[in-house]
Amino acid sequence: MKGTWPAVVFFSLAAFGPVVVRDAFLLDGLILILLWGATAAAWNVAGGYAGQVSLGHAAFFGLGAYSAALLGTRWGLSPWIGLLVGAVLATAFGFVLGFLSNRLRGPYFVLATIAFSQVLLIVGSRWRGFTAGSEGIPVPFRPGFWTLGIADKRVWVVIVLALAVFLYLIELYLERSRRGYQLAAVREDEDAALSLGVPALRLKVAAIAASAALTAVSGALWAQYVGFVDPFYVFSVDLSIRFALAAILGGIGTPLGPFLGATLITTLETYLRASFGGIGAGLVGIYLIIYGAALVVMMRFAPQGLVPWIGERLRRRPVAGPAS
Amino acid sequence: MHALPQLIVSTILLGGIYALIAVGLTLIFGVMRVVNFAHGEFLMLGMYLAFWAFALLRLDPYVTLVLSLPLIFGFGWLSYRMVMRPVIHASHNVQIFTTVGLSIALQNVALVLWSADSQFVRTGYYTVVVRLGTAVLNLAQLIAFAVAVLTTAALFAFMRWSYTGKVMRATAQDRAVASLMGIDTGRVFALTWAVGVTCVGVAGVLLAPIYPVYPTVGLQFVLIAYVAVVLGGLGDMAGALLASLIVAAVEVIGSYVIGTAWKEVLYLLLFIGILVVRPAGLFGQRGAEAIGT
Repeated sequence: MKGTWPAVVFFSLAAFGPVVVRDAFLLDGLILILLWGATAAAWNVAGGYAGQVSLGHAAFFGLGAYSAALLGTRWGLSPWIGLLVGAVLATAFGFVLGFLSNRLRGPYFVLATIAFSQVLLIVGSRWRGFTAGSEGIPVPFRPGFWTLGIADKRVWVVIVLALAVFLYLIELYLERSRRGYQLAAVREDEDAALSLGVPALRLKVAAIAASAALTAVSGALWAQYVGFVDPFYVFSVDLSIRFALAAILGGIGTPLGPFLGATLITTLETYLRASFGGIGAGLVGIYLIIYGAALVVMMRFAPQGLVPWIGERLRRRPVAGPAS
Repeated sequence: MHALPQLIVSTILLGGIYALIAVGLTLIFGVMRVVNFAHGEFLMLGMYLAFWAFALLRLDPYVTLVLSLPLIFGFGWLSYRMVMRPVIHASHNVQIFTTVGLSIALQNVALVLWSADSQFVRTGYYTVVVRLGTAVLNLAQLIAFAVAVLTTAALFAFMRWSYTGKVMRATAQDRAVASLMGIDTGRVFALTWAVGVTCVGVAGVLLAPIYPVYPTVGLQFVLIAYVAVVLGGLGDMAGALLASLIVAAVEVIGSYVIGTAWKEVLYLLLFIGILVVRPAGLFGQRGAEAIGT
């Protein structure tokens, strides 16, 4: 299909990674890039394509992570079932949030999403009897594919790559299908879309619910991969910002943008953590200062993100040639 | 019912501080139509300012308060010029993420400068309490409340009676018309932002002797301020004041009845409830939230 070659290159490179690279550190980086990219892409379905910017998506990520971890530790169920339960729960909450989005626009919606994730943070960290409270849950390692106890990082690359490609295809669908066009129409001018007979509310609710479910799937896989669920991490506003940031940096509402953004952020973070860890752990903050400042600069000069920004520059050259 | 006087006193004291945080937020929203997601970070900087002055120069937080006023105001003005001015006419999303970026940067400046540990300002009167009938209150809390109320009152008077305040209200009502009337809206925005930041910075200095300070301390307070501001109607200063008291009452009574561990859930649920039932707030105009202005 036209215009998808950068994505084909990106995902092919990721697929060849485990063939060439054996280094655990690099493979870990690749897995995180794909996982954060997939999560940012899931955010993008609501934030980019439906135009419903959320800063509470960590709530869905945490729901997925907790479902996989709790069903595994309490009832010995497979994390795949946990993943499914997490996705169903997230869909239910996504529906509620979706209906709310019809009443709340712009900053109001953002505030509601933050409040929602904070409620889950408090439940996760205070409901000792069920969630183990603020200590978090260590996810037991049970070898096997059905229990997702996989030590080989190369297998993990394949699993998260499958998720990433799946999300890319969903975004591509939103980019090119009739439904996708209708959703874009709702985002740009809801009243005009409604007057043309577009079912605005249904589309928005569906997009937000799908975005929530997919985020939960990422969360469940993440919990199995990392092996520990900390409520103050999985439900944090910081994590929500991270999903949004990767999508915005790469290009909000573009299929490849979230993956590009996640690649940049994760690479920079991993590199700086590796070079500053140990001696000056506090210096990791420098990376986050750059991150914050970059966001401010980005919003000023290229608010549409890197993918459209690069695309514009690539297009401009060949057009300028014959025209002049 | 012997706890009633204590509950009332605690509610009023807490509400006063929340009000000072909330009025700055609602002022910025009312005039500029920007929700400042970095508001909590200015509170955090105010707290660290008091901590630094106390640790390095042995300055009492209340002396710092007076000395630092121009500093906080100047910092607010500067942050407007450098960060907010270029995006003042941009879309909501661009503005939201600009302030989020500012918030991340400021939090981590604090992390690098002061580390993630909680820091305390232990003044000599830290343990001094005042008895009021059967109620007992902390001296630092009482002073914080008094200064917060004075500052809030001064801001109200400024907005109501001064010429500049009138200009700011005119800009809030209709920035295009205000501009046609010869108002330099750019300067109004800068002033609004700086005044809002000063309010919350002052609140930070006042909170320093009461609460420990750490880089992400802003979030817990600013969440409360969001609740109060939305409950009072975004942009409505009197509403924010009353709503701050309501939120404080929910928090104080909630921690008395069901314990401190779950009190946050109460006001967050209150928040979500308001957003669902009446997002325009108690006194706000119905429908404002649906236009997203």
